[in-house]
Amino acid sequence: MLTYSFKRLAQLFVTILGVVTLVFFTMRMIPGDPISAMAGDNLSGAALDQMREQMGLTEPLLLQYLKYLGSIAMLDFGNTVTTKLPIVQLILGALPVTVTIAVGTILLTVLISIPLGTLAAYMAHKGNRALDNIITGAAMVLDLMPSFWTSLVCLLVFSLVLGWFPASGMVSLDDPGQLLRRVTLPIVVLSMAQIATMARITRTSVLEVLNEDYVRTARSMGWSELRVLFRHALKNAALPIVTVVGLSFGNLLNGTVIVEFIFTLPGIGNLLVGGINSRDYQMVQTLILFYAMIFVVINFATDLIYRVFDPRVQF
Amino acid sequence: MNALSPLERKLASAAQTSLLDVRDLHTHFLTDTGTVKAVNGVSFQIGRGERVAIVGESGSGKSAMAMSLLRLLAYPGKVVSGQINLDGRDLNQMSERQLNQIRGGEVGTIFQDPMSSLDPVMKISNQMVPPIMRHLRISREKALAEAISWLDRVGIPDAARRIDGYPFEMSGGMRQRVMIAMALSCKPQLVIADEPTTALDVTIQAQIVELLRELTEETGTAMIFITHDLGLVARFAHKVGVMYAGKLVEFGPVKDIFAHPSHPYTQSLLDTIPPVDQPERRRLAQIPGFPPDMKVPVVGCAFKERCAAAHKQCFETAPKLSSRGPGHTAACWRPEGLGTARHLNAELVPSMVSNTEDPVVVEIFNLHKHFVGRSVLPWRVPPTVRAVNGISLSIRKGETLGVVGESGCGKSTVARLLLGLDPATSGDIYVEGMAQMVFQDPASSFNPKMKLSDIIGEPLVVTGWGTRAERGDRIRELLTQVGLDEGYMQRYPSQLSGGQRQRVAIARALALKPSVVVADEPTSALDVSVRAQIINLMVDLKHQLRVSFVFISHDLLTVSYISDRIAVMYLGEVVEYGLTDEVFRNPTHPYTQALIAAVPIPDPVAEEARTKKPLSGELPSPLNLPLGCAFASRCPKATDYCRAEKPALRALSPTRDTACHYAN
Repeated sequence: MLTYSFKRLAQLFVTILGVVTLVFFTMRMIPGDPISAMAGDNLSGAALDQMREQMGLTEPLLLQYLKYLGSIAMLDFGNTVTTKLPIVQLILGALPVTVTIAVGTILLTVLISIPLGTLAAYMAHKGNRALDNIITGAAMVLDLMPSFWTSLVCLLVFSLVLGWFPASGMVSLDDPGQLLRRVTLPIVVLSMAQIATMARITRTSVLEVLNEDYVRTARSMGWSELRVLFRHALKNAALPIVTVVGLSFGNLLNGTVIVEFIFTLPGIGNLLVGGINSRDYQMVQTLILFYAMIFVVINFATDLIYRVFDPRVQF
Repeated sequence: MNALSPLERKLASAAQTSLLDVRDLHTHFLTDTGTVKAVNGVSFQIGRGERVAIVGESGSGKSAMAMSLLRLLAYPGKVVSGQINLDGRDLNQMSERQLNQIRGGEVGTIFQDPMSSLDPVMKISNQMVPPIMRHLRISREKALAEAISWLDRVGIPDAARRIDGYPFEMSGGMRQRVMIAMALSCKPQLVIADEPTTALDVTIQAQIVELLRELTEETGTAMIFITHDLGLVARFAHKVGVMYAGKLVEFGPVKDIFAHPSHPYTQSLLDTIPPVDQPERRRLAQIPGFPPDMKVPVVGCAFKERCAAAHKQCFETAPKLSSRGPGHTAACWRPEGLGTARHLNAELVPSMVSNTEDPVVVEIFNLHKHFVGRSVLPWRVPPTVRAVNGISLSIRKGETLGVVGESGCGKSTVARLLLGLDPATSGDIYVEGMAQMVFQDPASSFNPKMKLSDIIGEPLVVTGWGTRAERGDRIRELLTQVGLDEGYMQRYPSQLSGGQRQRVAIARALALKPSVVVADEPTSALDVSVRAQIINLMVDLKHQLRVSFVFISHDLLTVSYISDRIAVMYLGEVVEYGLTDEVFRNPTHPYTQALIAAVPIPDPVAEEARTKKPLSGELPSPLNLPLGCAFASRCPKATDYCRAEKPALRALSPTRDTACHYAN
C-alpha cells in the first residue's frame, strides 16, 4: 500500500509536469498576448512593447518557462494579468459552484443509471428483450444529444417558456435555495449525457455477472431475485462502474465549462473561458494545473475504492 | 443379489416412501434457431438417504434435468411439463417464493466448478450464515456457530478464522468443501450435486467423494449425483440412471447395471473405458456417429443410428422403459441390448512396441525450470517457483511415456521445455529429430479463419517442405492416417466436432514426421465415447508410424492403457518411473500408491473391496519446497529421516526407479 502510494505520487508529478509544459507552450502559440487583448486598439505599438518588457514577456521563451516552473515550485501562482487579483483566491471563490454542479451530476447520474442499467440487464437475462431494448435505446438517444444543444433547449423550455428556473441572476452560497434553482438545469443537462454511458456499462457488467456460477449458487440457496441482483450481482459488477464514474468526472470537467458559460454561472469553467479570451497566461496555466490535479486525485481515489468492492484487488 | 446388507435392506424399505418422485419431466430451451428438447420425459424416484448417479455424455440433458428440479435453469431454459414431487409437494407447481423456501433448505445444491461457484467478493461467513438463519430460523450467533461447525466437519482447518476469509484465499479443493458445507448446512433432505468433482484433481476428488459419502450417510441425506465418470458411479452410487438424448435409457441398482447392462448405450459406455489390471490390452469400444440434434423430433429410438443391434422396430417406435430385473429398467426393444454384437472380444493390441535395441530419441538429463518472481525489495531473494526440479528421462523410438501427477506437479512445464517453447533453467534435453505437440483444447489451438488443409499444411509451409502439389498429397495422406477423408480439407475448425478437431491436431503434429509427439491432456476435453476413438487412433499411429509419444494426463486409466512406461511426478520431480504394468500392479512409492488408490474403477464390487483412505492434504506450494522429501507432508509413512533427507531416484529393479527411502 505504501509503495503503491509512492509510485502513484511519482506518477502524479510526471503527469502534472507534462500538463504544465503543454499548456505553457500552447497558450503562447495562440496569436495575440495578454497585452494586446487588454489594450485593444487604444494603445500604440511602443507603449505596448514597454508593458510587455515590464511583464517579462520579451524574455526568451525557455527562460520564461523556467521562471514559471520555479514559481509553481514555491506554490506561487501569481496574479491575473488583467485585474491583478490573486488567482488562487479567484479559483477558491468560483469552486463551490462548479463542485455543486459536478457532485450533483454524479449523484443524479448514479441514482438513475445504475438501477436502470441493472433493470435492463435483468430483463435481458430473463429474456425480456422489449424492456431491455427500450432502456438501451433511450440511453443511446440521450447519449447522441450534445450538451450545448440540450442546454439551449432546457433554457428555452424551463426558463423562458415555463419560467421554473431562472436563466441568470446572482449566485450566492449564502442562499442555498437560489443556488439550487440556478444549478438544477445544468445538472440535468450534464446528467443526460452521463446517464447513457453509465447505464450501458452497468447493463453490460451486470448481465455478464448474472451468468456467473456464484449467482446460480445464490439462487440455489433460496435467495429472492432482488437480493441476488443487488447483494451478489451488483457488487461483483461494481468495478467497471466505479471506473466509469471516475472517468466521467473527467468528462464533467469539460461539461461544466460549457454549461457554466451557457447558464452564466460564476464557476471555474467561466474563469477559464474568460482567461483564454483575455490571453491571461497565468490564469489559464493555473486553472489547467488545477484541473489536472483534480483528475489525478480522482483516479487515485477510484483505485482505492476498487479495494472496497473487490477484496482481491491488491496494491 | 439375494443376500442384502443391512444398509440395502434399509434402503429398500425407505424407497417405498420415496423422497423425490419425478414424473414425465420435460425441459425445453427456446433458442432463436429452434426449441431444444433437452429433457424429454424423464421419470424416476429417489428414496430417503439414497444416492442416485445420473450419467451420460455432454448434451444428454443430465445437467438440464438436475437444474430443472429446483428451476435453476438459465434463460432460455424452461420446465415445460411434468411433476417434481418432493415429500408429496409438487415443486413444479410452486411459486418462486414457495420454491425459495425449498432451495437451500430442504434441497441443497453443489456445483461443478468450485473456483467460480462462490461469490468472490463476499466473505465465506456472509455467504453461509444468512441462509442458515433463514432456513433454520435461528439467531445470527447460533447460525455462525453452526456454519463454523460445518466448515470444521468438511475439513477446513482453523474454521473459526477461515470463515471470515474470502474464497480467493482458498484452493479449489477447499472451496468445494465450503460449497458442500453450504449445501448441507441447512439440513437438507436431498442434495443435488452437478459434477462436483470434475474440476478437481484425482486425489482431491477422492477426498471430496469420501466426504460426501460420510456426511450424507451421517445425516441421512439423499443425493442426486450428476457425472460422466463411471468409476465414480461405481464407487459412490446406490442406483444409476443413464441418460441419452434427454431420456433415461436405463435405471437400476449400481451393481446390477455394471454386471448386467442391458441398454446398448450403457453397454457401449462401459466398454469405452480402458479396463483395469488386464494382462492384455484390447481395442476400446467406440460409439460411432453423434448424438441426435435435439431440435429435431426423434422418430423411434434416439440411439438407433449408433447402435449395432438396431432393427426395423427401432426406426419406427421409441422403446419405453421396461423391467430387466428388480428395480432395473431399460428402454430397448431387445432384452439383451447389443447381445452378441457387444464389444467383448475385440482384437488385441500389442502391448509393447519398443525394445532395448531401439535408439533413444529423447534424453532429458537433470532438467530444471525455475520461474523467478519479482521481489519488491531489491536485497530480498525473489520468490522462485521450482516447476521442474531435476528430472531425467529417456524415451526410445516407438515408445509411449505416460506422465502423471496432480495439477501443479510440473508435467505441462516438462512438455513445454521438451518442445523448446520455454528455455530450461539448467539441464540438458536431447531430441533426435523433431518434437511436436498436441494440445488439450483443439478448438483454441487452431486459427478459426483457416481451412483444415492450411492448418495441417502450415508446418510444411513454414519449413519449406516440398512443392505445392507434394504438400497437398502429404495433407491427404495425413488426413487418411487420422481417419478423416479428403473432403475435410476445405472445412473450417468450427465445422468439426471435438473428436474430429483432435484428429486434425494429431495430423498437424505428424506433418513433419516428428520422432516424438507430446500430447498434453489430449483427451480431457472429450466425451468418453470420443475419448476411446482418439485413444484407439493414437495406439494405431504408434504401431504404424513407430512414433514416440509423451502422453501427459491426470486420467490414470487412460495413461495406463496407452503408455509403455510411466513417470509419476510430484512437485517438479519424478518419484517413480518404470514399466506401466509393473507400476500399476505394484506401485512402490507411497504417492503412486495413493494416486492409484484414488482412481475410481468402474466396477462397484471391486470398489467396495478397496480401502478408501484418501490421501490427506493438498499439494504444498512450490514456492518453498521442504528440505527433505517433498511428499513427506502428506505421506502416511513419513519419518523424521524423510523430512531431513531428500530421497534420490534410485533403481529398485532394472525396470523401476523410485524416490523413497522406504521403498523395496
